[in-house]
Amino acid sequence: MRSPLLSFALLFPAVAAASEPVRFNRDIRPILSDTCFHCHGFDPKTREAGLRLDVREEAIRETEEGALPIVPGDPDKSEIILRIFDEEDPMPPEKAHKPFTPAQKELFRRWVAEGAVYEPHWSYAPLERPALPKDEAQGNPIDAFIRAKLAEKGLELSPAAPDHVLTRRLSLDLTGLPPAALNGEASLESLLNSPHFGERLAVWWLDIARYADTVGFHGDQNQRIFPYRDYVINAFNGNKPFDVFTREQLAGDLIPDATPEQLVATGYNRLNMMTREGGAQPKEYLSKYGAERVRSVAAAWFGSTFGCAECHDHKFDPIKARDFYELQSFFADMKQWGVYADYGYTPEPELKGVNNDSPFPPEIEVESPWLKQRHAEAVAALEKHLAETTGRLAGDAKAVAAQSEWEESLANFLTKHPSAWVPLTNGEVSLHKDDEPIENRKPVVLNGSIAADKPLGKGETLVVTAMAPDAIAFSAIRIEVPVEGRDDAKLGKAITLSLEAHAADGKIRKIGLRTGEATTKRPIHRGGAELPGLESEWRLPTSIEPGQPLHAIWLLNAPLALKESEKLVVSLGGDNVHPVKLSLSPLAAADPLELASPASLAALTKPLSGRNAAEKTLATTTFLLATAHDSIAADAAHRLAAAERALFEGRTWTMVTQAAAKPLEIRVLPRGNWQDETGPAVLPATPSFLPGRLESSPEKRLTRLDLANWIVSDANPITARAVMNRLWAMFFGTGLSAVVDDLGSQGELPSHPELLDWLAAEFRESGWDLKHMVRLIVTSETYRQSSVFQQKALEIDPANRLLASQNPRRLEAEFVRDNALAIAGLLQSREIGGPSVKPYQPAGYYEALQFPNRDYIADTDPRQWRRGLYTHWQRTFLHPMMANFDAPARDECAAARTNSNTPQQALTLLNDPAFVEAARVFAARLLADKKVTTDQARISAAYRIALNREPAARELEALTAFLKTQQDHFAAAPEEATKLLAIGVAPQSGLAPVPHASWTQLARVLLNAQETITRY
Amino acid sequence: MSPFHPSFEALHVNRRSFLLQSSYGFGGMAMAMLHGQSQAATTALAKPDHWNGALKAPHFPVKAKRVIFLCMAGGPSQLETFDWKPDLKALHDKPFPESFTKGQQLAQLQGAELKARGSFTNFSKHGQSGIEVSDLFPEIAKQADKLCVIRSMQTEQINHDTAHAFMNTGSIIKGRPSMGSWLQYGLGSETEDLPGFIVLTSAGKYGQQPISARQWSSGVLPSRFQGIQFQSKGDAVHYIGNPDGVCQSTQRQVIEEIQRLNGFLAEEQNDPEIATRIAQYEMAFKMQSSVPELTNFSGESQATLDLYGVKEPGDGSFASNCLLARRLAERGVRMIQLYHRAWDHHGQLEEAMKDSAATVDRPTAALIADLAERGLLEDTLILWGGEFGRTPMGQGSGRDHHILSFSVFMAGGGIKPGMTWGSTDELGYRAVENVVSVHDLHATMLALLGIDHHRLTTKFQGLDVRLTGVAGKVIKDLMA
Repeated sequence: MRSPLLSFALLFPAVAAASEPVRFNRDIRPILSDTCFHCHGFDPKTREAGLRLDVREEAIRETEEGALPIVPGDPDKSEIILRIFDEEDPMPPEKAHKPFTPAQKELFRRWVAEGAVYEPHWSYAPLERPALPKDEAQGNPIDAFIRAKLAEKGLELSPAAPDHVLTRRLSLDLTGLPPAALNGEASLESLLNSPHFGERLAVWWLDIARYADTVGFHGDQNQRIFPYRDYVINAFNGNKPFDVFTREQLAGDLIPDATPEQLVATGYNRLNMMTREGGAQPKEYLSKYGAERVRSVAAAWFGSTFGCAECHDHKFDPIKARDFYELQSFFADMKQWGVYADYGYTPEPELKGVNNDSPFPPEIEVESPWLKQRHAEAVAALEKHLAETTGRLAGDAKAVAAQSEWEESLANFLTKHPSAWVPLTNGEVSLHKDDEPIENRKPVVLNGSIAADKPLGKGETLVVTAMAPDAIAFSAIRIEVPVEGRDDAKLGKAITLSLEAHAADGKIRKIGLRTGEATTKRPIHRGGAELPGLESEWRLPTSIEPGQPLHAIWLLNAPLALKESEKLVVSLGGDNVHPVKLSLSPLAAADPLELASPASLAALTKPLSGRNAAEKTLATTTFLLATAHDSIAADAAHRLAAAERALFEGRTWTMVTQAAAKPLEIRVLPRGNWQDETGPAVLPATPSFLPGRLESSPEKRLTRLDLANWIVSDANPITARAVMNRLWAMFFGTGLSAVVDDLGSQGELPSHPELLDWLAAEFRESGWDLKHMVRLIVTSETYRQSSVFQQKALEIDPANRLLASQNPRRLEAEFVRDNALAIAGLLQSREIGGPSVKPYQPAGYYEALQFPNRDYIADTDPRQWRRGLYTHWQRTFLHPMMANFDAPARDECAAARTNSNTPQQALTLLNDPAFVEAARVFAARLLADKKVTTDQARISAAYRIALNREPAARELEALTAFLKTQQDHFAAAPEEATKLLAIGVAPQSGLAPVPHASWTQLARVLLNAQETITRY
Repeated sequence: MSPFHPSFEALHVNRRSFLLQSSYGFGGMAMAMLHGQSQAATTALAKPDHWNGALKAPHFPVKAKRVIFLCMAGGPSQLETFDWKPDLKALHDKPFPESFTKGQQLAQLQGAELKARGSFTNFSKHGQSGIEVSDLFPEIAKQADKLCVIRSMQTEQINHDTAHAFMNTGSIIKGRPSMGSWLQYGLGSETEDLPGFIVLTSAGKYGQQPISARQWSSGVLPSRFQGIQFQSKGDAVHYIGNPDGVCQSTQRQVIEEIQRLNGFLAEEQNDPEIATRIAQYEMAFKMQSSVPELTNFSGESQATLDLYGVKEPGDGSFASNCLLARRLAERGVRMIQLYHRAWDHHGQLEEAMKDSAATVDRPTAALIADLAERGLLEDTLILWGGEFGRTPMGQGSGRDHHILSFSVFMAGGGIKPGMTWGSTDELGYRAVENVVSVHDLHATMLALLGIDHHRLTTKFQGLDVRLTGVAGKVIKDLMA
């Protein structure tokens, strides 16, 4: 293994040529930082011999032992130089295992000889716009800086990449999609204005924001947060200035008259991992959450590593433990829980009733455009189905006759019961435990209402056993909590419902409930999501406006006609204590609450000849749903209605930041130990080592908004540098400072410090205009040059840090997927945003997940082919395709992804059904073009779609031969062709299997090619 | 300068980086290709060089070459396994002395009235060594003279998720590499056809707790060092099976065609990643046959299946996984980690312990005996234990999490056989003699593998990250 210094020397062969002066930041600081600061740095606890080398005043002062560590200009009198060259007792000591090379020793001597000039650490120094290199004042300033450095080494930029390469590069870099997916709209401005630009940049920011769909710790339950992802996408698409973007995420809730969008943005603060584990101590976890938030905020906005300072002053940077806790203190006002449950050992009254299916408050309800669109479609689909069905039934003599017969008996019923509900008051009321009557207790029966004598215990039910109250078949049951006898301020209990028919001979038949709905209810959650409608349980609202009606209506699975010997048995469970009334109705409706609506009663009571078209449809719909005359059509209607209900009119919930009643007290925790309360309490303050420090006073506690304002103020030099460095990495593969998550002294001096400062200053002065910066970068010659590595540069700059050519880059996980789906023509890219989706995933992958147990059901509708960034992000078990291509689990801020090259990636592209299906559909797309008649022309078309270029002769030749082998193979084994083509839920093509399978194999080759998954 | 400093590798693995480090060791070929000899290089060298590890030479004599960690996930009770406490039994159902528990962190028992719970099972001494083992483990007891039982373990984390992280990575900070990743990184792999760090999971009837893929993450080390989980359902390794309708020979044709196109590209593009990609497709294809061969038990005799108690080979049971672990050890996999999720016994301790013990007793003993029989135990280090222990106080019909004392055992791989180490106080509440921290355990295990735990490091965010953090001491008394 090579040493970091050797690597550093390779990366920066410019270091300390004998003719130029030694520079502290470039030449000396990295060595000091790696080797000396541990014992002679900021941290007084590990400091030895009272010697400090990080501050010049200290380093040139006489020590207690009377030595002069550094005598500027006189290395031979400087103790540190003497010790560095001391063979017997060298510095660094042997036990440190970090000996200096002769070259390093010489560097130190020269530095001292030249006056031991210190420089402030580059990223903490005030930001000023550097002058452009003199002779390159024309053109794109980026090129001026890059050319100047190249020229020093006798290098030049490479020629521009060919058009087809550049088009593909821009398309993939700015939208994450290949040119073929963009309908030829490949001009720079159209790419920057494409809604896919926001999706592409969101992938970048969501890593930093640690966006995930699950909480990460222990049971790794689902959390509701996707509107935050929509916010991020929209922010980039609308080119929201980065200062506003910062303010809204950190403190949107503190902005006066905060908009829903600004509240959604504060979901950022809630993206720390959370736990609901039984036995976890709230205080311990609050301390974990707080510490993580500091690490993530510091990484996101400072590009700094605060992690070490949780336990002690940073060894290498001037970051103190106090800085860590002062930063944490800004977030101490957030409403949150250490453990998101109400356990006996740690009661949390506000979380009463929370279980492993519950969401993670606080949340707000918001509208989702994607869901709203789906809801409109669902409404239309139901209407269309009902219009078609009722139209068909109206022309079907048998149906017309059946409807008229039913209407006749209904009319009879309605004369007795004009509301269409018959109360169930004709039965016996009793109390049961585990289905056996309780002998010594009597229920309360009053004015047609029934109630238990006292709250029901476990397994206890209130049971009504009754003869059918009418001869008509019933389709619905209602439970009413009448105004009389109910305490409007203290409801909040639950009722469960089950129905049976008991025959005289003891036979019991279950009567199924299809679905229900209540006028008001408390939601029930499963897997973190609210259940639409009602199953068998109705949770009453905690309170209700006095006098408001309160009832729930359930549709039965099938019309209920009791046999003569049968009795209806209604069992009510749950802890409700309010009296209730039960009724039955022969009517039905797609929405249970619309059942027996005035409009439907009016339609049904009119003579047929007097009904207008709408009334006819309504009457026939009611007939259909009440009697299930056409059971297939009725079931379909109920299915469509259920799908609509599940969309909640396009509304959803999302986690947000809300202020707590009182901020948590934050103390400096010695060694990060949450149980140690001996450290001083601290108040919010910005980091002490950065300029323009703001501190709270006893009178005024600083807020998250103050922090955000300071971050984007002119005082703070580091944020603009950190963001520009990461943006650079997006377009060149490596940041100007390669260690994008550490701009501190253990990171790397930028390859082009002036360029980074110029970009940072431009970014800030442009009004934090990200699109402007992207445009500036991608229009530079540096960006547009060829990615073919120059032979000459190889020896001088093997890591290509001087950028004598572009760097090829394997696509990020999400774009590997998007690209393949787009090439196939499968990608559903028209709409932006929306809830997370579930692409195919190997069975049993969530087997080790519990609380609750998890079942992964892949989407079988167009959501299957949505872009990778919408993939359900399960922190403990990230989708294997994503994980294999280096997407981070996002447990914490991930500012840089690794870019590995593994056998798992090959297996994924070869065998993951998503890619096999994409190959099948791509092949069908190629074969469907009837204008193309030869194999060679078809292969050319494939290359244009997949790679935006024509194939070379040898590629054509090779693939033509390959196609022949596949055709021969499948012709001999056509059953294999059929099997291959059955993979994936995308519609079958209807093409002849043998050619289709052969072309699928060819498409697999192309989708696996290195060129396809690489942006050159 | 330490000989195995990882330089910038973990920080930015980009296309150039592998010219500086050896990655899958492809530098030579890449250079050849960059100098325009691509076609020849592609064909001749389309095989990843072996990653031989960051350690160029071992720091200590190598006693163990691989590790099998039988992780009893959920935290088994030490009081019903290896730590016999007659005084606790005598105190059964009586108030637990406050002098022991005052000011200590408890989990679900926080604030509750504490009562002693004696072991419901008996213990007896076994073998020449006379190691005390609970009667719930008759088969493991027969292997007593091969075991080194540590009864004085302590950890710092009282909840499952974080305690597993601590046991695997020595830290609860995210991004710390798992033990198996460290071994892969430090020592490389002995197999070319299989991943060097493999994880298997199984679950019992009682006391299941979830386990996260984070536990076998390579963290800040390059992702090729991460653990690969073998699935108990479907393909053992994700995407290892060909698509339906594609036989091995047509799959080969597809791969050869991909390689051909990539070879053409290499001539145009001078991009060393292409050569690595070509090598990885070869590796992938090899895995497509080696993995099914590995998981096919048809070559195992009935006697072997019976020894382990395998009912249905490959059924994802702990028994089947133990046999698979032996097969992995034979093939040179560096780190094999089995999670058996069955030990979180907050309630029904008696039924649950009996069931969980019965499930793991025979396969564990069989694995030790079988490895010994095949001469593999001497350089295979087995570790058996949970992420923490259980309280000597009762919690309803069970026991709560406990971090101040628990028991693990090791076997093989240079460990001193037939010994116990450390002890707890008379009620088993706290380890008092020869206390072993998780860091000490890690340091000792690394030492057995020839590694000085101070010197296996990677640079991350300004720190020299290591498995043992800033702590850990090698316990020489445990080493043969």
